[in-house]
Amino acid sequence: MGQQANRSGGSLKVLGKRLPNLDAVERVTGRAKYVGDIDIPGMLVGRALRSAQTHARIVSIDTSKAEALPGVKAVVTYKDAPKVALWGHRGYVLNDRVRFRGEAVAGVAAVDAETAEKALKLIAIQYEVLPFVIDPEEAMKATASKLFEDGNQEGQARILTRGDVAKGFTESDKVIERMYHCPTMWSGSLEPRCAIAQWDGDRLTLWASTQAPGRNQDNLCALFNLPDANVRVIASYVGSGFGTKSANHMDEGLTALLARKARRPVKLQYSREEEILDSNTRFETKFYAKVGVKKDMSLHSLDVRCITNLGAYHTRLGGLGNHCTHVYRIPNVRTEQYRVHTNIPNTGPTRGVGDPQECFGLESLIDEIATEMGWEPLEFRLKNIKRTGDPIARGGAGTEDGRLVTQVLDKCLEEGAARIQWSRRNATPGAGQTGPKMRGIGVAATERGGGGGQGGTTIKVFKDGSVVLFFASTDIGTGTRTTLPMIAAETMGVPVSSVRAVSGDTELAPYEGGSFGNRTLQGTGRAVEAASRECLRQILAAAGPMLNNAAPADLEMQDGVIRVKGQPDRNVALSAVMVRRGNIVATSITNQPQTGMDVERTSGAHFAEVEVDRETGKVQVLKYIAAHDLGRPMNLTIVENQLEGGTIQGLALTQGEEMRFDPRTGACLNANFLDLKPPTALDFDPRMLEAIVVENESILGPYGAKGLGENPTHPGMAAIANAIFNAAGIRLREVPFTRADILKALSEQQTTPGRTA
Amino acid sequence: MANDDREKLSVSRRAFLKGGALATGALSSTLIPLGPAEGADRAPEATDLDPRRSKIELKVNGVAYRVDVPNTTTLATLLREELHLTGTKVGCDRMQCGACTVHVNGRSVYSCTVPAVDAAGTEVLTIEGLAKGDTLHPIQQAFVEHSGFQCGFCTSGQIMSTKALLDRNPQPTEDEARQALSGNLCRCSAYKKILESVMTASRLSRA
Repeated sequence: MGQQANRSGGSLKVLGKRLPNLDAVERVTGRAKYVGDIDIPGMLVGRALRSAQTHARIVSIDTSKAEALPGVKAVVTYKDAPKVALWGHRGYVLNDRVRFRGEAVAGVAAVDAETAEKALKLIAIQYEVLPFVIDPEEAMKATASKLFEDGNQEGQARILTRGDVAKGFTESDKVIERMYHCPTMWSGSLEPRCAIAQWDGDRLTLWASTQAPGRNQDNLCALFNLPDANVRVIASYVGSGFGTKSANHMDEGLTALLARKARRPVKLQYSREEEILDSNTRFETKFYAKVGVKKDMSLHSLDVRCITNLGAYHTRLGGLGNHCTHVYRIPNVRTEQYRVHTNIPNTGPTRGVGDPQECFGLESLIDEIATEMGWEPLEFRLKNIKRTGDPIARGGAGTEDGRLVTQVLDKCLEEGAARIQWSRRNATPGAGQTGPKMRGIGVAATERGGGGGQGGTTIKVFKDGSVVLFFASTDIGTGTRTTLPMIAAETMGVPVSSVRAVSGDTELAPYEGGSFGNRTLQGTGRAVEAASRECLRQILAAAGPMLNNAAPADLEMQDGVIRVKGQPDRNVALSAVMVRRGNIVATSITNQPQTGMDVERTSGAHFAEVEVDRETGKVQVLKYIAAHDLGRPMNLTIVENQLEGGTIQGLALTQGEEMRFDPRTGACLNANFLDLKPPTALDFDPRMLEAIVVENESILGPYGAKGLGENPTHPGMAAIANAIFNAAGIRLREVPFTRADILKALSEQQTTPGRTA
Repeated sequence: MANDDREKLSVSRRAFLKGGALATGALSSTLIPLGPAEGADRAPEATDLDPRRSKIELKVNGVAYRVDVPNTTTLATLLREELHLTGTKVGCDRMQCGACTVHVNGRSVYSCTVPAVDAAGTEVLTIEGLAKGDTLHPIQQAFVEHSGFQCGFCTSGQIMSTKALLDRNPQPTEDEARQALSGNLCRCSAYKKILESVMTASRLSRA
C-alpha cells in the first residue's frame, strides 16, 4: 500500500518538519473550549457528596431534606445507580459501601453551586464502620478486612515463566536480592475532571474531559441499557490525561444519572481535591527481585515478585509491563504479580502504567549487580540488551516465539552516553568526592510497545478543496490534531493548512477506544493514511476528464494542484475538481498489520548527571539526556515536547507526588498541589534536559512512525537513583528520594565501614 | 509563591478573609468613573438591600461592565460564568497552580482567589484581551511558534504571567523567566518549550 515508497522518506513534503500545532491559535487565545467552558441553557450544577469514612457500609441514607431545598432538581444515591459495574472497575457509579475516604456516596444537581453545596450538607447518612487496610501486603493476609466478598486479591496471581529460575540461580556465579518500592503517586491533570450530560428522550450526549470517548460510550450504553447509536460522547479539547482519563470513571455515569433524574443538562466539575482523591492515580508497587549473573558478564536468571496496590475498585491493569522479559537476554525469567485492593483511592493506568515502577526496579537491580561484580554498568547493559534479530515473546507468554525487529536500544545507549560524556562518571561510585557536593552519572534503559491496534477515521474533502479529518480518539496535549492532519496532507498532496481535525466525537467518526498506550499515532494514523489514499484516488479519478482524460495513474497531486506526471503545465486545481465533484468522503478502519514472527518495540535510554549536597541532602539534576526510538518523527517540535514533558514527569516521581495516607484514619494527607509538589519551572531546569531522537523507521506505523507518549516517563526514577549512587555511593530503593532519605543514607554509609562502593 | 505581585495579592486575600472592609488599596488606584460614584449618598437600588450581594463596575479587556454579584464570587467565576470569558481557567481554586492568572490594574493576580468585589473599579486584562482582532500578541505568537504548551489548559495563565514579566522586565534572563513563571504549573511539563516561548516573546515584544 505504498508503504515502501513512504519509507524511502526522501521526498516527504510535510512529515518530519517542525510545524506549529494546527490548533495553537485556539490554545493561546483562550478560545479553545474545554468541557468546563461549555455552557448550555438551563444547565444545572452537579456536586458529589464525598464520604469521610475510609471503609464503611451505608446503613441508611436520607436525602429528603436535600430534595426539599428550593433549587435542588435531583439527588441520587446508590439506590438510583444501575447495578452495572463500571468497565475496568469493581464498583457501580455509586455504591452502598464506602471503600476509600473521599468516595462519592451521593450526587446533587441544583440551579447553582451554592444551592448544590448546601444540599450536600442536608444528606444524612448512617454508617456501619468497618476496619480498613491500606497496605497491599497487609491486605493479602487472611485476617485482613475484606473490601469484597471474594477477598482483596484481584484475580489470580499472574505468573510468567521462561526457563528455570531456580536452576538458573544455582548455575549463577553471583545472586543478589533486593526490594524496590514505589508508593501511590498522584498522576492527574491540571484540568479537573468535568462532564456535562444532556438527555433528549432516550438519547444521551456527554461532553467529557476524557481520553477515551469510545470506552465512555460503551460504558454509558451498558449503564443505561441503551444502543450505541443513542449515546454520543464528545471530548474536543482535553486538559491532559496521562492515562487517568483513559478508563471509565464514576463521574461520567453520575452526571448522566443526575441529568436524567433532573430532566435538565448537568455539569459536574471536580474540585482540585476531588480530582486528586477520585481520579485513577499511579499505583503503588513492591518489587521483590532476585538476579543471578555469570562471570562472563551475562544475565542468567531473574525472579520478580510484584505486589500492586490497586486501591478500591480498579481491576483492569496494574503490575508490570514487559521490562523484565523484553529489555535483556535472560534465559531464565519468572515474574509473579499480585494485584490487591485496599482502602485507598482508585489507581489505574497512568503514563507508562507499570513501566516506570518496573523500570525503577529492574534498572536499579541491574546497576546493583554490576556494582557487586565490579562491572561497568553501561558495558554490562550493552552486552546483555536485546537487539534486532533476537528472540522475543510475541504474546504475553514467556516463550520467545518471535523475532525482535527495528530495535535500536543499543543506539539509544550509545548516543546518550556520548552526549552526556559517560566517561566522566566516577569509576568507583562515591569515591574521591570530599567536598560538600558530590557529582555522579547514571543510566537506565526502557522499552514498550509502539502503539497501534485498531484505528478509524473519516475524511471529508469539501467542494473548495478544504479537508476535515474526523477521529474519535483525542488530542490530550499529544499533538494528534496536528500530526494526523500532517499524515493526511502528506498522503493526499494538499497543504497542511487546508486540513482540520475534529477529534473525540463518537458520533462523527468510526469507533475507537481512545488515546492511550502510545496507540493513536500508529493506530489512528494508519487509518488516516488509508482514508487519505482513498480520497486521493477519487480526486485523481475525477480530475482525469479535466486533463484530456488522463489516466489516474499518470496524475499526482502536490500542494492542492493535480498535475500530469512529468508535464507540470497540464494541471488543475483541487478546488476546480471538487466544485465539479461535489464532495468526497472516505472512511477507513484498519487493524494492526500482520507481521508474522516480527515483533516491534519502542526503546529508549536516559542518562542523568546529578549533584548531591552532602550537607542538605538536596539532589540537583545537572544534565539529563533522553535518547529515544520513535521510528520516524512526524513533527520534531511535537516529538521534543512529548519527550521533554514526559521526562520531567518521570523525574517528578523522584522528588514528590507521593500520596501519603494517615495509617490511623486512611485519610490522604496531601491532596493539594503545595503538598504533592508537582514540578514547577524551578524544580528541574529545562535547559539541562536534552532529547535525542534516534534515527529509525517502524514497520508498523504510518510513514515509519512509532508512538512515544509513554516511554519518556519510564526511566527517570532509575536513572536518578543510579546517578545518586554513582555520586555518593548510596543506594535508594524507595521513591521519592527525599532529602531526609538521602541524609539518612549518607549517615548510615559513614557508620558502615567497608561497605561496597 | 515567589512572584512579588502574588505576595501582595495574598495580603488582600487575608484582609478579605478577616471580613474587613474591601482590601482594594493596592488595586483601586484607577477607579473608572462610569456610573454614580460609590458612596452613602447614592440612592439605594433594589439589590443594594441584599447585604450578601454587591453591584460593581469594572473594565475587562477595555469593555466596561456593571454586574451584580454575590460577595462570595471570585473574579475567576465572574469572568468565566458572568462575562463568559472562559479563557481564564481554574485548576486548583486556591492559588496553587496559576491557570487563573489575569491582570488587575497591570498586576498579575490569581483570579481564583480575588473576590470579585475587590476588582470593583479596576481594569482587568484576560487572555481574551491580548490579541488585536486576528493579530496575535507577540507573546501569543511566540507560544505558537515554539508550541509552548501541550494540552493548553495552563496556557492562558502562562501567557498572562509572561506578560506581567515582560511589562516590568522587557529583557529577562532565562533564570528570571523561570522565576517569574514558577507560580504557573504545567502538568504536561512543557517547561522547556514554555521557556523558549518566553525568551522569543521578549525579542518579539521589543522588535
